[in-house]
Amino acid sequence: MSANARNANNPGKKKGGGFLARQANKGNAKTDKRPAGPPSTEEELLKQAHVSPDDVLRLAKVTKNYLCPVDANVYNIDFTCFKLRDMDTATVLFEVAKPENLPCGDDEDSNDADEEADPNAGRFVRYQFTPQFLKLNTVGATVEFTVGDKAINKFRMIEKHYFRDRLLKCFDFEFGFCIPNSKNTVEHIYEFPHLDATEIQEMIASPYETRSDSFYFVDDQLVMHNKADYAYDGGVSNL
Amino acid sequence: MGLLTILKKMKEKEKEMRLLMLGLDNAGKTTILKKYNGEDIDTISPTLGFNIKTLEHKGYKLNIWDVGGQKSLRSYWRNYFESTDGLIWVVDCADRRRLADCKRELDSLLMEERLAGATLLVFANKQDLPGALPSHDIKEALELDNIKSHHWLIQGCSAVTGENLLQGVDWITNDIASRIFTMD
Repeated sequence: MSANARNANNPGKKKGGGFLARQANKGNAKTDKRPAGPPSTEEELLKQAHVSPDDVLRLAKVTKNYLCPVDANVYNIDFTCFKLRDMDTATVLFEVAKPENLPCGDDEDSNDADEEADPNAGRFVRYQFTPQFLKLNTVGATVEFTVGDKAINKFRMIEKHYFRDRLLKCFDFEFGFCIPNSKNTVEHIYEFPHLDATEIQEMIASPYETRSDSFYFVDDQLVMHNKADYAYDGGVSNL
Repeated sequence: MGLLTILKKMKEKEKEMRLLMLGLDNAGKTTILKKYNGEDIDTISPTLGFNIKTLEHKGYKLNIWDVGGQKSLRSYWRNYFESTDGLIWVVDCADRRRLADCKRELDSLLMEERLAGATLLVFANKQDLPGALPSHDIKEALELDNIKSHHWLIQGCSAVTGENLLQGVDWITNDIASRIFTMD
């Protein structure tokens, strides 16, 4: 799936620095700092029977592999919609939904025929944005997900965004209980990490070197791992 | 009214508050949540789970939980009580037929040990509808004056027009702050 940011021209002034540093040094909601101990490496974690929230919080960079198999998702958690809006202009920048979930979005993509062949299809999303995207101040990011017929007691999401090996933002949110067969949404409204002009130029000039890992845990065990990468050069060459 | 008007510069130390929004089905919980956050309210369907918003409000990090109010979902409400700082009870003031249901459900929440420390805001919603009871009548019907166990306030509001939503959230966050956080 790809999504293009629209109407992202935002003339608003930038907030001062400091936010990024604070965000990078601590997880968001529940975790005030990175767990004690040395950084974990992907190689170590791949050998473990289970991967914990602390394990991924200690990761220093984006992983090369998925840290759990697709079939670890025994609770049938399914992400059905993703939406991003610019709070300053009250504009929906993009909205993508699964085809069977069309009321939530206007996504035109359909599942490719070769999805059956690749077990990891659907775990990776590539986004293409315009450069204006990097100048947003306050955004609201919504995900919608459904849960299978078993109740979930403790559901937690950790999402880490990097440019190259540098952590830009870490979300850490505990949903706790999820009702069986439920449809749920969460919107995080937050200030976009502050980037200086050099960083912005680098990120625009280096498509897909901005990456993210999304980890989902049930009872502190990794059950889903999704990845995304991002380009910010949309419209630069062909407009 | 949008989020922009209420966003304040983040404080160095984030202070977190958890607000739990409950009420009978069709009371307007999701519409309140969306309107308050400047989101489109044209298409809202019954909540079959939860909707969460995390946002900054006056230097506090608010986690607002809106859990579905259908009868089949109410037995799950208790799973969301833990760590709740504020309870927002939403009433459809035009639904006179179910006011007794509404009172019974609220009464049972107020008995809950895990909600014992929570501030209560009652949103007397749908004041834009001609048949809506005024908040004074809702206060009587729910016998709010008998509540001694919780700080409480009733606020007439309209999720559709946005009237008084900000006032209500301001009050509950101020009350929680004065109870829990030492003032700067």
